[in-house]
Amino acid sequence: MPKKILIVDDEEHIRFLYSEELAEEGYQVITAESGFRLLERIEEEKPDLVVLDIKMVDFNGLDILQDIRNKYYDLPVILCTAYDTFKEDMKSIAADHYVIKSFDLTELKSRIAQALDSGLTE
Amino acid sequence: MQVREINPEGVTEADVVIGIPSYNEAANIAFPTLKANEGLIRYFGKRRSVIINCDNNSDDDTPNVFLATATDVPKICLLTEPGVRGKGNNLRNLFRKALELGARSVAVVDADLKSITPQWIKHLAEPLDNDFGFVTPLYVRHKYDGTITNSIAYPLTRCLYGRRVRQPIGGDFGFSGNMAEIFNLANHWSPYVGNFGIDIWMTTLAMNHSIPICQSFMGRPRIHKPKAAEHTSGALFREVVGAVFEMMIPYAPFWKRIRHSRPTSIYGFGLGESEMPPPVNVNQAALYDRMAEGFKTCLDLWREIFSDDVYGQILDARSASLDRFDFPIRTWVRVLFETAVAFKKSPAQDRDRLLEALAPLYYGKTLSFVRKTERMTIQQTEEFIENECVVFEENKPYLVERWPL
Repeated sequence: MPKKILIVDDEEHIRFLYSEELAEEGYQVITAESGFRLLERIEEEKPDLVVLDIKMVDFNGLDILQDIRNKYYDLPVILCTAYDTFKEDMKSIAADHYVIKSFDLTELKSRIAQALDSGLTE
Repeated sequence: MQVREINPEGVTEADVVIGIPSYNEAANIAFPTLKANEGLIRYFGKRRSVIINCDNNSDDDTPNVFLATATDVPKICLLTEPGVRGKGNNLRNLFRKALELGARSVAVVDADLKSITPQWIKHLAEPLDNDFGFVTPLYVRHKYDGTITNSIAYPLTRCLYGRRVRQPIGGDFGFSGNMAEIFNLANHWSPYVGNFGIDIWMTTLAMNHSIPICQSFMGRPRIHKPKAAEHTSGALFREVVGAVFEMMIPYAPFWKRIRHSRPTSIYGFGLGESEMPPPVNVNQAALYDRMAEGFKTCLDLWREIFSDDVYGQILDARSASLDRFDFPIRTWVRVLFETAVAFKKSPAQDRDRLLEALAPLYYGKTLSFVRKTERMTIQQTEEFIENECVVFEENKPYLVERWPL
């Protein structure tokens, strides 16, 4: 069964790019364009991992991260951002990883693989 | 263990317990006691609660100062038997008493705290109502406050047990009644744990019993009796690091299977802007001298403990003058790993000697850390520490390969 990844980003081209590339890696990808009713979406879809944009027009990704963590403390979350200033906010330490947005998804793919790994040796 | 109990109001049951361990804190204990009282009244007013001072028979009348502090919440004092000292021995009495009272939530705060607010009580105890079993504090600390945490306790426990708990020896904790039972029944106890090793012992037990852990944001910096990095006491270093190494032995089957770490839940954001911590000044020359002292007294033991590679790197570090000094993180990681292996192989009576030989290298690592981060902000330093943690995790196979069966 492929692992399910939820991409949360308000930029359509980013959702498209991530969906295409991650689907090629064998993941099942679903998307959301905002943080609106995101917890309900997570409850319904039960993703294995969330890729979360920090700066969306109507939502602060770090607040969403906090909401996710309060309810699903074992759900891996990777933060995506154009700038690394978000690290000044202590909430950011609740994320599994962060990646700087880029059209080269090598780093993101590597972080996703690591976060989905159980962390245990066989 | 004999315990003397002073329970003026005859408390026999409590839902919420606040524990304040102490030794000779008569000048300080009234303040956290008053804040604990305020926190209990304000946030847990409908529950039965009690404040417990666990004391090592202080010479300065700490228990009487505690009992004389005017509070609405009843108070109990537990005294270790004469001659028994140590924070761990105090908390052991608290675990037992919390179980006896049927407590559902227990919070522990240090007796010398100057910055505690009533909200700290809420933030340490409230997550226990939401399925968490163990709560560690999260404060903004000065980059040079807590160097044992930054160089050893945080990166090593994170690397070993796969949980990112930023303040594993923060001094202030919350735990559930179930967790108190786990602490009370734990087989492993030692002089390290009976003293300052108790904090890392509790955190390690919580991690290894798969207890849901959260980090609770305290909002204010932890201000207590400060100590500069070069004045870290030998006993504190020995007891904390000794407890870390000791716990590695029974839990080896668990940590050997863990490849990388995961974040831990956060509780308590929304307190507004956090206050900046007070400055901590570091005397770099004193750190250098304390490291150099080790080259006079510990070389033979280092030669015995460390691989040729690591021993050579230590000698290289020594050859640099203070203004060019560097102790590479990879060297430090391997120093810790190889000392942990030597600790495991050594009989109990030889282990203090190993920890004493590690201390000068810790001062060298601390000096290197100070030099590399002196122009950094607190946040940049946090990132620097995170990158060091990655080096610990990347080098973990080195430890696993060398760990004796």
